[in-house]
Amino acid sequence: MTQHVQIHDNNFTLHPTGSLFWKERSSLLISDVHLGKVSHFRKFGAAVPLKALQANFDLMDSAIAYFCPKRIIYLGDLFHAHINNEWHHFESWVERTPLEMILVTGNHDVISPLKYEALGIRSYHELIIDKFLLTHKPENRKGYFNFCGHIHPNVKIKGIGKQSLRLPCFFKHQDQMILPAFGEFTGSHSLKPKKQDEVFALADGLVIKI
Amino acid sequence: MTKDELYVLAEDWFEKQNWKPFAFQRRTWKAFLQGKNGLLNAPTGSGKTYALWFPIVLNYIKEHPDYKTKHTKGLKAIWITPLRALSQEIKQAAERVADDLGTGWSVGIRTGDTSTGERAKQKRNMPDLLITTPESLQLLLATKGYPKIFGQCTAVIVDEWHELLGTKRGVQTELGLSRLKSITDNLRIWGISATIGNLDQARQVLLGPDSMALVNSVLIKANLKREIKIKSIIPNEMETFPWRGHLGLRLLDTTIPIITKSKTTLLFTNTRSQCEIWFQKILEKHPELAGEIAMHHGSINKETRQWVEQAIRNESLKAVVCTSSLDLGVDFAPVETVVQIGGTKGISRFLQRAGRSGHRPGAKSVIYFLPTHALELVEASALQQAVKKMAVEDRIPYLNCFDVLIQYLTTLAVSDGFFPDRIHDEIKGTFCFQAINRDQWQWILNFLVMGSQSLHSYDEFKKVEVGDDGLFKVNHRGIAMRHRFQIGTIVGDANLTVRYQKGGYIGTIEEYFISKLKAGDVFTFAGRNLEFIRIKQMQVLVRNSNKKSTKVPAWMGGRMSFSTQMSDLLRNELYSASMPIKKQSLEIRSLKPIFDKQREESIVPKPDQFLIETFTTNDGYHHVFYPFEGRAVHEAMGSLLSYRISLLSPITFSLAFNDYGFELLSDQELDIGDILDNNLFTTDHMSDDLQKSLNSTEMAKRKFRDIAVISGLVFTGYPEKGIKMKHLQSSSELFFNVFKDYEADNLLYQQAFTETFEHQLEEGRLRLALERINGQKVVWKHCSQPTPFAFPLITDRLREKLSSEKLAERIKRMTAKLLKK
Repeated sequence: MTQHVQIHDNNFTLHPTGSLFWKERSSLLISDVHLGKVSHFRKFGAAVPLKALQANFDLMDSAIAYFCPKRIIYLGDLFHAHINNEWHHFESWVERTPLEMILVTGNHDVISPLKYEALGIRSYHELIIDKFLLTHKPENRKGYFNFCGHIHPNVKIKGIGKQSLRLPCFFKHQDQMILPAFGEFTGSHSLKPKKQDEVFALADGLVIKI
Repeated sequence: MTKDELYVLAEDWFEKQNWKPFAFQRRTWKAFLQGKNGLLNAPTGSGKTYALWFPIVLNYIKEHPDYKTKHTKGLKAIWITPLRALSQEIKQAAERVADDLGTGWSVGIRTGDTSTGERAKQKRNMPDLLITTPESLQLLLATKGYPKIFGQCTAVIVDEWHELLGTKRGVQTELGLSRLKSITDNLRIWGISATIGNLDQARQVLLGPDSMALVNSVLIKANLKREIKIKSIIPNEMETFPWRGHLGLRLLDTTIPIITKSKTTLLFTNTRSQCEIWFQKILEKHPELAGEIAMHHGSINKETRQWVEQAIRNESLKAVVCTSSLDLGVDFAPVETVVQIGGTKGISRFLQRAGRSGHRPGAKSVIYFLPTHALELVEASALQQAVKKMAVEDRIPYLNCFDVLIQYLTTLAVSDGFFPDRIHDEIKGTFCFQAINRDQWQWILNFLVMGSQSLHSYDEFKKVEVGDDGLFKVNHRGIAMRHRFQIGTIVGDANLTVRYQKGGYIGTIEEYFISKLKAGDVFTFAGRNLEFIRIKQMQVLVRNSNKKSTKVPAWMGGRMSFSTQMSDLLRNELYSASMPIKKQSLEIRSLKPIFDKQREESIVPKPDQFLIETFTTNDGYHHVFYPFEGRAVHEAMGSLLSYRISLLSPITFSLAFNDYGFELLSDQELDIGDILDNNLFTTDHMSDDLQKSLNSTEMAKRKFRDIAVISGLVFTGYPEKGIKMKHLQSSSELFFNVFKDYEADNLLYQQAFTETFEHQLEEGRLRLALERINGQKVVWKHCSQPTPFAFPLITDRLREKLSSEKLAERIKRMTAKLLKK
């Protein structure tokens, strides 16, 4: 169901939710949840089912239950927009989830860091741990391996009989791993893999290397 | 004034023009003045405007004897037209009568083309007659204090009703009328329709199925017969004539003698891109025609279109290459000949176009049919039969269009607000919502107010609010403004305006095309070669270029399907290929080389045969079935059959459809014997299987795009700043997916399926088709290469998918293939 990769002697597990577990640091990396998007739409008169709102929390719970990590590191775009009532859902979820949480901020994260701090979540523009650089937008910095999000990558594969599939994926360049969007109510963007790239697609609850 | 005196006014006017009223005009005057509602069945260019405009004016004269000296202000009549291009013509005719009779009436137009200044002026001081579109009428209902605007209105005329019936704009019109009936006292409602199969139903839909208005109504038929002559253009060398294609340029030269021989010729194309290409190519090959031919389609700016229309009337043009933009309305006497390039898919459209020619007294309508590929000649032959038998199609009206209802209720909530009970009774009286039940109604109210079916804490949903007095109202200004921008039910690809960088509007173009261009690329548009500079705020900036261009904008447009009647005729024509030459039409005879080629490895089926062909190419295994039932039935049958096969063992299909048959393409070979043994063409459990097959394909998802926009789930953006189609597509897809996962009982989500079922797939026709096939003998031919029948299908790139395989399996096989390359 999952896939494993080793980078700079560290072990990483790719989970079908689109999260990534860093074994040595017991950290769960999650990118682009876009919480608040459902409420944002509803506030403007578009009736997204409220049940969709709960889905993101359920998914996070399932990834946490699987890896039992010590901390969660969000790679940006945790919240889609300004604060709205979904924040209350997030607050109560944080309360019953006794983990350390860190936010690497992204372009959508406009909510004040103080608000996060009140929940015990520290925010950073970027994070450097050993030889690893954690950012929201993809970045190439010499000597570092970059974990990031922002792109919402998907991959298109083709077969004979005019068949084709488009699947969200983890996208690994030489020194970079782009995580898929974790959020339920988000779109995605097609990336074309080059020869040295590795792609891990999310399909029917599996992570499949392509 | 007595009735007779009134008629004298009208008769005198006709005499002054040296005209004589037709019997149908007199009958309409009489019925109208008796206070009746009705439907007038009259073709374009028959004087239908005068049939209804006269009694409106006469009625006013009757009630205002001092009409010449004292003008009573306010809106008296509304004329609804589906095409804003027609409004000018109607205005001129109406003004002429109003002036000549000395009423002092003013005639105004209110459409998408009307400036905001003009609109504001109208709101303060309504013209006596307002010519408008269904959308603009809705916009008026979104105006505060609208009942006052309409209070004095005594007549609504819905022109070209057949064009609206069977569309969501028709539903919009039904709803608008239901409101107008309530807020006026003496409203007469009249529709004008060309001949369709279900005229009685058309009247019912217009007036309301159980309404007093219907009881007090008449159907008047003009019964004007005009002789139509169809001539097919038959290629000299059938052996080398293409097996597929849609442009028809191969036969361009044959049109030149037709153009030169006739006073004015209209060349009808089926898409705007085809129109552009034909115009270019004619000029390229025959530069001597420059200045004598012009082009007309809906994306060209208004001024140019009007110039062309005027030039046709002045007889200063030899030929106009056009699209459906010239189908309706405007009466062009000088047009002697019409050329139809490519099939029209329907009889009425073909007849309508044929009818654009020969308006001179005693003249015949002459239409040439120019095939774009070989098999289209079968269609031409079938059309000949259709004209002989006077066959016409039905227009099927929509039922339970909840998206349009939600839009309408929001419209009412935006203006003065509404009380649900009252509006419920009104809409229940319409054809579309006659069967709506209390649960559905409550669901819709909840959807508008709470965005769901139960109240949740922490929820900020905001759209319609309920006041203490029970009034449903939109209070949020932003929501009201966004809604006004979104009123309308036609969803197309997002359109961008094309302008010169230095200023000057050229027309509108679909985003899909522009997204493929780079700066510096040259493309052909509105008959000019333009260099693409950049996109700025939904505007495409261009400059003139001398470079030759090969790029012509593609307008996607809807893919049309043959009607039942047309399919029957088409099958019969095809069967005649196996009959003695004497019994064949000219077209069928000319196709002999194609039929011979088809017979090399396969057959041309006879009435008792059902043909299946299989062959293998680099693309995979092709399985082609030929029911000859029209595209819609083939879509349904293809989905049904592939679904049933996929139950036997995991498999993935790519499906293609046309009017002759459908193809199942797979990377696995099917055992046709197996399919026949398993009785997969049975009508047992048909509805159930078809429903399930819909879940496996994308059809319903695509239908949902329109529903999401119409119901206001997805906002299409402010004008000039609209959101990109790509975004629209993806957000409606997101909605579809969350509904599927979390709210499958959502009425809008359900509507996507019922619409696909009833309007796209035509379940009823599918059942009849399956029954017919079950009585036929299957002929299965395994061929070494694609046959002439199969060729157009397998090269079709617009495809549907269906799979019963696990994703992991499919990925494994696909990647295995990738690695091999």
